[in-house]
Amino acid sequence: MNDADLDRWLEKILNRTAPAAGEIARTLETAHARLGRRLDAVRREPAAVGIIASPLGDLLAVVSDRGLAMLKYAAMPDGKSLAQLLAKARESFDLYLDDVRIGPVRAELERFFAGDLASLSYPVDLRLAGEGFQRAVLRLLRKVSPGATISYQALGAWAGAPKASRAVGNAMHTNPIAIYAPCHRVIQSNGGLGGYAGGLPIKRKLLRLEGFRLDGGNKLMGAVLGHRGTGIFCRPDCRAARRTDRTQQLLFCDGYHARRAGLRACKICQPAEAANG
Amino acid sequence: MAHPDLKLPPPFDELLRLHEHEIMRLCLRLTADRQDALDLFQDIWLRAYRAYPRLSAAPNARAWLFTIATNRDRNRRRDRMRRDRIFAPEPIGDHRAAAANDPAALATHLRRSIERLPDHQRRAFVMRKLGGLNYEEIGTALDCSPAAARAHVFVALKKIKAGWPS
Repeated sequence: MNDADLDRWLEKILNRTAPAAGEIARTLETAHARLGRRLDAVRREPAAVGIIASPLGDLLAVVSDRGLAMLKYAAMPDGKSLAQLLAKARESFDLYLDDVRIGPVRAELERFFAGDLASLSYPVDLRLAGEGFQRAVLRLLRKVSPGATISYQALGAWAGAPKASRAVGNAMHTNPIAIYAPCHRVIQSNGGLGGYAGGLPIKRKLLRLEGFRLDGGNKLMGAVLGHRGTGIFCRPDCRAARRTDRTQQLLFCDGYHARRAGLRACKICQPAEAANG
Repeated sequence: MAHPDLKLPPPFDELLRLHEHEIMRLCLRLTADRQDALDLFQDIWLRAYRAYPRLSAAPNARAWLFTIATNRDRNRRRDRMRRDRIFAPEPIGDHRAAAANDPAALATHLRRSIERLPDHQRRAFVMRKLGGLNYEEIGTALDCSPAAARAHVFVALKKIKAGWPS
């Protein structure tokens, strides 16, 4: 018996045993109600997705009902493709393409890159940000304003884990919301730039945009030291500053930004002049 | 802004609407009664929803769906076999009734024959003959060449015919 004969033989059996169209329709009707209830119980929240063009390259933006849930460089230097980023977002959200929904974020970013550093006020949704510690770190990081930086170690200490600088680094690397959760403002204690998931050139660009000067290598220059505990900022060589707890330090690009962050000038080293000069 | 790489598969509900009919037809074929068909149908779609984030925008949604369907069908029968070790198993298909061309008996016999096939042959057969997928799609689903998929279906068909009462 050859191929065609076999097919014909089976075809006859299949025809004789096929479920009737009416039966399929009736069973589907019953199935709909049951499946609908079960699906509603496990449904992911909807979220809009779109691409935002920026001077740093294309950004993938995901906006949920709670806020901006993802902002990632579409061309990641670590080889993560856009498809992988989308797959990650889709684990938590039912995505739909919608340029209007991400419009406010796009507008804020446009103003930000034009120099209005205080423009990023859209709420964020940290659901893609891993577990407790990572989320806590990102939440604190959001308080580090433009023109300021914090060290991995100091950020860990702020979150209650002064020895967890490595974990802070990981949290920065997996940060789902670049720029809004400003992981580019986290640097090494010695002023070195550290790393950046979007690539160091982008970290440099962002810090320059926010007022920092960088020397030829990867170090921040001419900055002012702020102290979270005392609310005072000093020149880096101030004798009072040298005695302070390093894990409470913030590094500002100048006295102006330190003052804007609510700090006052040290009376010993008088850094306001240092910043102006 | 349009971006060449920003591609999403259709919303899940659209996939459901598009394929629910053929999945239900398959469920009714693979199960002994309506209740089992309903359970299998629901199982397939819930599993599909859960796995949906891993389906890329590639146009192979149908093959992907039938992979899930044949998986869930296998698991369902495995569970039933475990139960049957404790309770009395269902009787093996009735040869005489099948030979007498009673449609219900034929359906049962066909189902039993399919269940006895090795996994890859069973899947290929179900996808081609009950689902109507082409060999290209089956190859995608089973991670083999279209020619290998065709061979699986042919061997499965020969086995079924060999075990059929004349």
